[in-house]
Amino acid sequence: MALWHRRRRLKRRLLVELVEDNLEQIRGGPPRPRPASVGLGLPRLALALLPLALVAGSHGGTNAAATSPPLAHAAGAVPRAADPLTPPSLPLATVDAGVFPLAVERVVLDPGHGGRNGGTQTPSGMVEKDLTLDIALRLRDLLEEEGFAVVLTREEDVALSLEERVAVANREQADLFLSIHVNWIDNQAVRGVETYYLGTSDDPFVGLLAAAENRDSGYAMADLKGLLVELYSGLRQDASERAAAAVQRSLLRSLRTVNPAVQDRGVKTAPFIVLMKTEMPAVLAEVACLSNQQEAELLGRPLYRQYIAEALASGIVSYADGRRAAAAAGRSS
Amino acid sequence: MSEKESLKVGIDLGTSRSSVTASNGQRHVIESYVGWPADMVARKVLKKEVLVGREALENRSMLDLFRPLEEGLIKEGSSRDEAAVRELLRHLLSLVGAGVEKGNGRRVHAVVGVPAATLRVNKQSLRKALADLVDSLIIVSEPFAVAYGLEALLHTMVIDLGAGTADFCVMRGRLPTEEDQRTLTTAGDWLDEQLEVLVREAHPEANFTLHMVRQWKEGHSFVGEPRAPVKVTVPVDGRPTEIDITAPLRTACEALLPPLVETMLDLHSRVDPEYQERVRGNVILAGGTSLIRGLDKRLEAELAQVGGGRVSRVSDPVFAGSDGGLSIALEAPDGDWDRLKG
Repeated sequence: MALWHRRRRLKRRLLVELVEDNLEQIRGGPPRPRPASVGLGLPRLALALLPLALVAGSHGGTNAAATSPPLAHAAGAVPRAADPLTPPSLPLATVDAGVFPLAVERVVLDPGHGGRNGGTQTPSGMVEKDLTLDIALRLRDLLEEEGFAVVLTREEDVALSLEERVAVANREQADLFLSIHVNWIDNQAVRGVETYYLGTSDDPFVGLLAAAENRDSGYAMADLKGLLVELYSGLRQDASERAAAAVQRSLLRSLRTVNPAVQDRGVKTAPFIVLMKTEMPAVLAEVACLSNQQEAELLGRPLYRQYIAEALASGIVSYADGRRAAAAAGRSS
Repeated sequence: MSEKESLKVGIDLGTSRSSVTASNGQRHVIESYVGWPADMVARKVLKKEVLVGREALENRSMLDLFRPLEEGLIKEGSSRDEAAVRELLRHLLSLVGAGVEKGNGRRVHAVVGVPAATLRVNKQSLRKALADLVDSLIIVSEPFAVAYGLEALLHTMVIDLGAGTADFCVMRGRLPTEEDQRTLTTAGDWLDEQLEVLVREAHPEANFTLHMVRQWKEGHSFVGEPRAPVKVTVPVDGRPTEIDITAPLRTACEALLPPLVETMLDLHSRVDPEYQERVRGNVILAGGTSLIRGLDKRLEAELAQVGGGRVSRVSDPVFAGSDGGLSIALEAPDGDWDRLKG
């Protein structure tokens, strides 16, 4: 069955590449570039996209990407310090997942933003809400092929409050919640992926980021601290960290084949409402930086969004496999 | 009109034969010949403006006959060749019930296979030729179509032996790059030319045509030891005479081997060493010329020099390309067809 799913996924990806190749023909674009010497293991797409990726190296830290400042309340679209964040230290739980031998069967995907809340945006009109929805829809198909039950908080361009998103996840009794966002960073030379799970952070940027993400929730930051207390330890946070790590690892491994300059901005903790109020392991992934011109161009390509979706799917499958293995170990011990 | 009403077709546009497989279950193969009546008398006798396929071949004495694909590509420089390709495609589509100009019937979404080394300009010519015949078009390299249809998408080598070209493709789970593919023009037509020369040398008294040579090849080709003498009947001084063409036929067929083996081993050597054994174990032959008896075993024997492997022939070499094209057409999302509208 797994083989069948893998084959279907492979065929789907080949079809995406084939259609893109034909669209290039129709547009009269230049021939696809010759690949590097065989044996490097770089996928064809990697080579097709490599010129974009490599340009990044020629841009300094003040790269004037053709992108505009983000919309004010975009999740993950807050101006940030140039230095990468340092993951805060947290008292992580040590509860053995085998104690809860539950499979990951139902996943709620949350495409960030929507409706009047577009998220970050480029001058050319690429809007975060559209990108996150497109990636989520692709991801849904992939996860369903893997046998997961998948629910989206939104399937079209509608505005949803954070509470409504959380309510969907809790009502569906999901085993995992994944919120998908696209980042905006002031230093437009920076590109990369980062994945969050619930926790506090001493980093001022994360505070700003969470404040922006949590806007309109009806809570103040002070209120939230109380809510967090009971969550600092325990299985949910542990599972969330594992899920975040699996997603981040998969994003990096997959996207670096097509976007070699992508940076590992780390697995981090932050008090996002959607992570806090959900009752299951929950992560928030910033899958790219729209503020970086090259990454914005990549995001404009359906094939790159497909790669992101596949990386997220792979991360979730990996996390689910880990849970299953841990549960099996727990039963046998 | 809903996409459910659309007709999906896979087409293998070949130098010698072209095949079409459609989502309505129809499947046809025709000779890639198109002819126009040479004069008023011919038009009166034939009662047709244009003849395609076997009908064209059988009436070739009364026709300006065109074989519009050369080495798997649309011949350049002749508007008649372009028109012939168009007639060929129109005929193929009509055979599966899509023989009307687009807009007059249900939507037609086509996947057309072309040789691996086809240049962009040739693909554009093909798009132009099909512009008014189909609603959306995907052009794909022929060996990729074969691989897709067989679901042999990872660690396999497809060798599509046609008349105009021999296409090689290593499948690595991605759309093949130039580095993954090779196209040779030493294929079926080249074999025919060699055989013609060799038979003329062996039997200078015999009177025959290249078309007859092609039929001999298709009926009797082999490599290795012959099972029985190959004898054909040709006119000699006006009298039907039986001649033995076993030796020339073997020589001509085996002349194909060196370039095929060299290319197969070269492509194999470029595969990541970790996967070479798996690729060697999954070499797939398709195309009409792959029907040469003993070819699969001979190529398999050649693989022994690099560790051994397995060469298999697809069960239906003539339709493997168009069947694969149909698989792609059926599995491409409807939204993609909309984006590919010409």
